[in-house]
Amino acid sequence: MLEARAFEPEYLQRLDRLVLGIKRARTVRSGQRTLGRVQGAGIEPENFRDYAPGDDLRLLDWNAYARLDELTLRTFRADRQVEVTMLVDASASMAYPERDDKLGLALAIAASLAYIAMGDNDAVRLGAFAVRRGAMRLDTTPFHRRRESYRDFRTFAGDCRCGGETGLGAAVDEFLLQRRPAGMVIVISDFLVNQVDYEDALSRLQAARHEVKAIHVMGEQESSGSYPPGLYRVRDAETGELRETVLGAESAAACRRIVDRLSARLLGFCTSRAIVYARAFGASNLEAFMERELPALGIVR
Amino acid sequence: MGFLNPSSLIYGLSIAALVVIYLRSRSRPTIEVSSLMLFEETPAPVASVRHLRIDPLFWFELLGLAALTMAVAGLYIMMMPRGPGLARSNALVFDLGAGMTARERGGLRIDQARRAAYQVIDAAAAGAEFSVITYALEPELLLAQTSDRAALRKTIDGLVALDVPARASALRGAMMRAQGGAEVDLFTDRPPPPGALDDVAGLARVHVHQIGLGDDNSAIVSLDPGAVGLSQGRAVLRNFSARGRLLEFVIDVSGHEVFHQPVMLSPREQVLVPFGPLAAGGLVHARILSSDAIAADNERWAWAPSSDRARALVLSPDPAVRDDLARVLLALNANFRVDAADPGLYRPDAATARQPTSSYELAVMHDCYLPAVHSDATLLVFPPVTSTLPGGLKVTATAPSAEMRPHRPDGESAVAPTMLGATRVVEIPEWMESAATASRTGSPAAIVAAAAGRSIGGSIGLLAFDIRNHFLLDPDRLDALVVTIGLLRKLTAPPGIQIVPTGGYVDVPASGTVQVTDPGGKVTALAADRWGRVRLRPLESGRYTIASGPRTVEVFANYFDASESDLSAAHPANDNAAARGAGRIAAAHEPRQATPLVLVLVALAFAAFAAESAFLLRHAARWGLRHV
Repeated sequence: MLEARAFEPEYLQRLDRLVLGIKRARTVRSGQRTLGRVQGAGIEPENFRDYAPGDDLRLLDWNAYARLDELTLRTFRADRQVEVTMLVDASASMAYPERDDKLGLALAIAASLAYIAMGDNDAVRLGAFAVRRGAMRLDTTPFHRRRESYRDFRTFAGDCRCGGETGLGAAVDEFLLQRRPAGMVIVISDFLVNQVDYEDALSRLQAARHEVKAIHVMGEQESSGSYPPGLYRVRDAETGELRETVLGAESAAACRRIVDRLSARLLGFCTSRAIVYARAFGASNLEAFMERELPALGIVR
Repeated sequence: MGFLNPSSLIYGLSIAALVVIYLRSRSRPTIEVSSLMLFEETPAPVASVRHLRIDPLFWFELLGLAALTMAVAGLYIMMMPRGPGLARSNALVFDLGAGMTARERGGLRIDQARRAAYQVIDAAAAGAEFSVITYALEPELLLAQTSDRAALRKTIDGLVALDVPARASALRGAMMRAQGGAEVDLFTDRPPPPGALDDVAGLARVHVHQIGLGDDNSAIVSLDPGAVGLSQGRAVLRNFSARGRLLEFVIDVSGHEVFHQPVMLSPREQVLVPFGPLAAGGLVHARILSSDAIAADNERWAWAPSSDRARALVLSPDPAVRDDLARVLLALNANFRVDAADPGLYRPDAATARQPTSSYELAVMHDCYLPAVHSDATLLVFPPVTSTLPGGLKVTATAPSAEMRPHRPDGESAVAPTMLGATRVVEIPEWMESAATASRTGSPAAIVAAAAGRSIGGSIGLLAFDIRNHFLLDPDRLDALVVTIGLLRKLTAPPGIQIVPTGGYVDVPASGTVQVTDPGGKVTALAADRWGRVRLRPLESGRYTIASGPRTVEVFANYFDASESDLSAAHPANDNAAARGAGRIAAAHEPRQATPLVLVLVALAFAAFAAESAFLLRHAARWGLRHV
């Protein structure tokens, strides 16, 4: 399974240099302070550097100037208080095509981002959602802040199974009912739902002042439509609906057109709502996706 | 083609299992997809249903399983054996039927057959052995396998075609006798009937040499002299040629020409030529003077009974039977004067007193026997159970019912039996010949239903079944009437003349040494048997003279056989002219031996499975193992 890749030391070592990109300021509540690696307006001194014109004179270290006769600035670590939630689609559609291992890819991405976020001591949790037996089921892990507890996510990722319908809107409802402070929500899904559903869900997350990022996961075979040619009866993994169809080159082309259209529609919506959108098509591209695609989009730095 | 071990075909059920699996897999496979949304624009399947989808895997497996099943069952084919040196022994089979007497431009057909046989002999390797077998009515081995060419040529030179039809059963018998030869050469004027060569075709190479070209033949089919002075006679003439023919037709009676007329016959026409009524009885001799291929069927003899009154006696306790028998006798010879009497009231002495000049020509006794009646011939009908029957006849029992099968002229028994009433079980002496046999209901044993014979004491006929209740006039039992008339004709035939068909046996009363002169003038000496007769079988048409001391009997043999005389039937319409000119049809039935195909079938099965494996590997490489 691909999610195991996210817990391999060699892989994690490559993620150590990455930092989760968070746009908005965090609220620091009394009694709770988190030190991050990002320089900023904190109270914890971090380092000294030479003065440059334009720097805030309030940060000058006058004692050092008196002893050394040099203008030196004190830098501080920024104070962050952000909760990062990875919402992974665990519906039945994530299990097909089986050889694509879409759920494994989604969990690997989620775990990888969690690992990166924990590097800044951010509170991170993983969640998997799906509608099963008519009820929304949103399973989440506790928040973890330190990388020492990163391994705890492995059990969750290993136990995660696909099943049921997507229910993205219901999952957002369930999530918002928890009344967590505004933070970052990364939705990882194949988004094979109605356009209205995901637009409504993402909009409500934004309305709750969460910073929303959407990662679109699809398999290589699924996105290219390369099924063995022949006459088949295809069954929708979530609804069970059947349709007889002829698979071949023509159907593959049609499949690719639909995926492109779906992706473009989702990208257009995200762009209009300032939601970062990333496409992760194909399980073999995990490293490239994490190290090149996400930095390019600003999800990590 | 066949199977050495047919029971192993049970393994063929594996093919049924394969078909079931195939039919099940033919149902369209279902694949799970993440969402039908992705397939909204894929084409829908066509509406038509392909019942025989081209599935290479299925056909490869079917081929492999079928080949293995047939290999296990031991499929074999009959093939020519390989290797030289098999043609060491040869059988020369000659058709001696009347068709081979046909005279054509190249001479007699039998002579053409002889020449063809010599060509075969000359072309054979030195030391090759030959046997000579002939057939017409029966097969006969004239010369056993020998390499003595002189004896062989002498035997072939002595072959004479007969005025009898060549029977298919005789051909089959001849081919069975020829089984010892590696090569069989059949010389005949017509294609062998279907199946005639089956017995030998698998064991020897059979060459059919078809002899003869023409179809120019006409024949006298039948001759009925009619009643002397009362009714016209009738002759039936038939033209077998595909061309019209003008025949010169002549009829003599006792050497005097009474009818001479040209008759024009259309192609393959049969006409009835009336003549007479004849003024006097005697031997009627009909002839076609125009020459044609077969001379034997251009002559025919018949006996016209004299208009002189002949006396017949009918004795029966049943008046209806007496009446029936008198009618039959008068129909046979209108000049009969029939006396009918109840045997209980008949007084032979008184009858002799009324007619002291002569005895009866024929006495018919039903359910009685009076030894005191003097007659030239006696017909016993349903003879009584008594020990005083003439000539060694002995009644042993009475069957309440029986089924009769008359003997047909070709020697075979009639197919449909005639139901008889009460029938005597009679033991007949050796000099009597059975004309019809019967079987008791529920018993397969045959009993004599009709018989006739000639001994020193005169001619005696026997009808073992009862003819009460107008049995002879019953239209559903015409066979019984035909048998009765046949016996009466035999019994009333003139003592010095017998007219028989060729191939049939004829008994002639004789004593001591008998000189038999055949139609060709050849004289043969025979000895009479202990019953005072000689038995002949005329195989040539014409007159045979049997001289026994001062007594001379003439036997006239008539030949006609529609299939044998029809020379055009010997040649298919599309026959190759060149082949006909050569007088030989290259119809060689090759000797074959069973050759198992196990190795070929196993190789075929392996090839099929290898092809299937390659197909699967290619599929797996392209789509992954899950889709194999």
